[in-house]
Amino acid sequence: MEWLSELGRRVAMFFRRGKFRAELEEEMRLHVDLRRQREQERGLREDEAGTAARVRFGNATVLKEKSQAAWGWTWLESLAQDTVYAVRAMLRSPGITAMALLSLALGIGANTAIFSLIDAILLRSLPVRDPGLLFILGDVRAAGISDEFARNDLYAYPVYRQIQKQNQVFTDTAAMFSMNNDVYGYVGGRREQEPMQVQLVSGTYFETLGVKAMLGRVFSDRDDDSEGNHPVAVVSYSWWNRRMGRDPDVLSQTIRIDKTIYSIVGVAPREFFGTKVGDAPDIWIPLSMSAAVPPHWGGYRDYTAESLYIFGRLKPGVTIEEASTNINVVFQQIFHQLLPTFPEGPHQGDNAKILQHRRVPLSPMAKGISGLRRASSQPLHILMAVASLVLLIACANIANLLLARSTARARELAVRQALGAGRLRIVRQLLTESLVLALAGGAMGAASAPYLSRLLLRMVSAGHEFAPVDVSLNTQLLLFALGVTVSTAILFGTVPAVRATRLELTDALKDGRGASTGAARSPLAKALVISQVALALVLLVGSALFLRTLVNLYNVDSGFRKENVLLFSLDESSAGYKPDDSRLPGLHREVQERVSAMPGIVAASYSSWTFGEGSWNCKVFVQGFDNDKTIDVKHNIVGKDYFAVMGIPIVAGRGFVPEDSAASKIRGVIVSRQMAKTMFPAGSPIGRHYGLGNQKSDGQFAVIGVAEDVKFDSLDEPAEDHTIDYYPVDPGAQYFRDFEVRYSGDRDAIASGVQKTIHAIDRNLPITRVETLDQRLADSLSGQRVMAQLCSFFGLLAVFLSSVGIYGLMSYLVARRTNEIGVRMALGARPAHVLGLVMREILALVTAGVAIGIPATLEGERLVTSLLYGLEPTDPSSLLGAMVLLIALSTLAGYLPARRASRVEPATALRCE
Amino acid sequence: MNRDEIPPGTLYLLILKTLARFGQLHGYEIAESIQQTSDDVLQVEEGSLYPALQRMLIRGWVTAKWGVTAGNRRARYYQLTAAGRRQLERELSDFERVMGAIARVIQTA
Repeated sequence: MEWLSELGRRVAMFFRRGKFRAELEEEMRLHVDLRRQREQERGLREDEAGTAARVRFGNATVLKEKSQAAWGWTWLESLAQDTVYAVRAMLRSPGITAMALLSLALGIGANTAIFSLIDAILLRSLPVRDPGLLFILGDVRAAGISDEFARNDLYAYPVYRQIQKQNQVFTDTAAMFSMNNDVYGYVGGRREQEPMQVQLVSGTYFETLGVKAMLGRVFSDRDDDSEGNHPVAVVSYSWWNRRMGRDPDVLSQTIRIDKTIYSIVGVAPREFFGTKVGDAPDIWIPLSMSAAVPPHWGGYRDYTAESLYIFGRLKPGVTIEEASTNINVVFQQIFHQLLPTFPEGPHQGDNAKILQHRRVPLSPMAKGISGLRRASSQPLHILMAVASLVLLIACANIANLLLARSTARARELAVRQALGAGRLRIVRQLLTESLVLALAGGAMGAASAPYLSRLLLRMVSAGHEFAPVDVSLNTQLLLFALGVTVSTAILFGTVPAVRATRLELTDALKDGRGASTGAARSPLAKALVISQVALALVLLVGSALFLRTLVNLYNVDSGFRKENVLLFSLDESSAGYKPDDSRLPGLHREVQERVSAMPGIVAASYSSWTFGEGSWNCKVFVQGFDNDKTIDVKHNIVGKDYFAVMGIPIVAGRGFVPEDSAASKIRGVIVSRQMAKTMFPAGSPIGRHYGLGNQKSDGQFAVIGVAEDVKFDSLDEPAEDHTIDYYPVDPGAQYFRDFEVRYSGDRDAIASGVQKTIHAIDRNLPITRVETLDQRLADSLSGQRVMAQLCSFFGLLAVFLSSVGIYGLMSYLVARRTNEIGVRMALGARPAHVLGLVMREILALVTAGVAIGIPATLEGERLVTSLLYGLEPTDPSSLLGAMVLLIALSTLAGYLPARRASRVEPATALRCE
Repeated sequence: MNRDEIPPGTLYLLILKTLARFGQLHGYEIAESIQQTSDDVLQVEEGSLYPALQRMLIRGWVTAKWGVTAGNRRARYYQLTAAGRRQLERELSDFERVMGAIARVIQTA
């Protein structure tokens, strides 16, 4: 506490330091006066007494300074002085300052923006109680519904209940559906349907996380204890804000989804977005209602409907190893009991074998679960590296500027040192100047960061919507920006500052303002330019690689004729159709027939999937095919005109005809060329039979045709992924989420016409999305596109900055050598010769930079290989192109000062001395 | 008259002790009384009292307030605080330890 009151005294005195000086002076004057009186009393003359008193007192000025320095605020005053001086120095050369500020702002802004995403997606913990104690079963890669025996990542509801009851390591255990339900519902008495994202969770979900309601209550285990009779909902803060205008009366409101009316019992806290980063549900509903929420997944009692993630909170004192052991014991017990009843695959005893080897890994859930994290981690890190390199290049530029300026100021600094300014004092002043520059640039950067973050968010958000990730400026981010700023200031400020004070004073003073051969050689400045060129090469090659990847992906053959196709996404479940609704086939038939009859429609069809929506896949069973090597096949149920609409050629056999949809024991199916090749390598696949993995029949499906391969989920998927089979529409009821048409004529008119026709048949059937196939394909590349855009932007910025660096350095060197050049020309050197002289120097710098850059580039290419498409990891043409561009631009940047040098008037140059 | 510089590091001790004896003094009085008490042996560079007094103010060993001298001029009077008294004890015992040690070294020689 002692130091605290001391600090208080220091601070208090700082604010009355004017008075302090006056008082100190008065006190000292009194002292000297009294002493003089005393000496006079002892018989000295008045002037002698005065001298004696002053001698005995000592150097009053120094003593005053010492007294003041004791209070420790002189540094504050000199800081203020330095700052004012720095600002003045910056304003004196506005062009250079603007350049430096701009590059700093861009560099720091980009770094901050990228960090904001890294922070939000990769680093930030869930806003819940003790997130470090939360663990989830499995590796959380899969999402969906599966019926494979003893999966260790997705679980059935009854299994969740058993694990919850039997484990001894979690204080609370919770489950959540592995997907969100996209539904349409009615809020309160409103008559318009609204889209909403529903997350089905166990009653223990919020308690396990330790999240309390902001209003009302969260769920308890009782909201989940019996199927179908707990119509309650907790809504997210953001939804409450967006859709209800933060109505304080929210707890007396209801939401109707399909036929069920849910009472809103609580609002989640503002910071709680759920447990999946980048996927924020609007509404949470207990899993006990899962059969009621479209698309009616159900599975409350079904041991084979594996669709949930299970997570728990560790008991205090339990280690993760103990937890893992216990969970695995419980898992084995549960599935051992299920063995006799769980459906077997094609071979009896497979399940027992699977169970023997199955282990359940526990994964930390502190940061939530996120596919977004997996997908965006590498691009974000690469961008961060790229932005840091750009910032480094900017720093090198500024260091060079300051270096040049401090050399130009050598005389001033030497004079000051000669007058007794401490070396440290001058270093401090130069560092203050750098810091002021950096802080100004940093402030601009931090201000621009949020805009850049939005752009980046576009990159990591698939398709056309922003992932709900919070990238707003926060304290942590500002601290990061400040840290980057200060480090840049130190980076570019220290070297010039230290160098400026290491002058031989006499040399500098003698030197005048003319040529200083010693400083003109500037090996440090050259080293900076060389490293700039090297870094710029790395970035330029990087951007070339990402650009070419994008171009390759644009040009990749999707297998579709992508022009003139409109895709409509429908949501039958939200319109009140049950999965087995007898009205569904009629609805589909009517829509298909009436739309097909519209003018401008070439063909129209349903399908359960179109490009980029995920897939339903399972293993198939073919007689004669080695079933230990079964392959996953993607299944698509399609209307008879699907191939015509999407422009997929039938390469063997025939397409579907209406009769294929009739009920029969053996169904005709069409397989993709890749599937035909893999499954039926010998002979024609037409007429061959196969069955779905878990059905021990070999004759359920008969191949009637082979379709050309198409991309299913993404444009960069490899050919092995094109194992697809197409089933004809069933006579029974089913949902189709996709309806697509091939049209001719005006797209917009067709789009609205089709929607009108559909709504004329069922006014309530939500059409959730309308887009062209072309657009869908292009949207699937949004990540790669933004990556390529940003890398190109940074790459060009790097080249620009290093050109500026070369220009600045050469201008400076030429200016310093005006005298020498003048002499040369006076002695008969021709302008071309001088030009050559300077250009050689530039080329030497650039070549050195490129030579250093090449190995760095090759190393960098290895790191990004997995993000490239259709390119060799070491792509020579990208490297060559980048080299040519870099050399051309930097030569151009150097040409201007070189030409200036060649036009030096010998007379002027000599007068310069 | 033979005058010695005060030994380094003892200035605080001298000021503290002087203030302890006389209560409130201003700068000149402190210098005078050190000199007189030491029978004119110890000579302070008088001005150096002031930075020392500032440091002692910062550390809270003394407080200062303005008063009027006998000659009717404004002067700053310094006074010991409780912390100052404790510091005096410390410095005294340090000093005695060192002096004792030096004395022993000299006697054995």
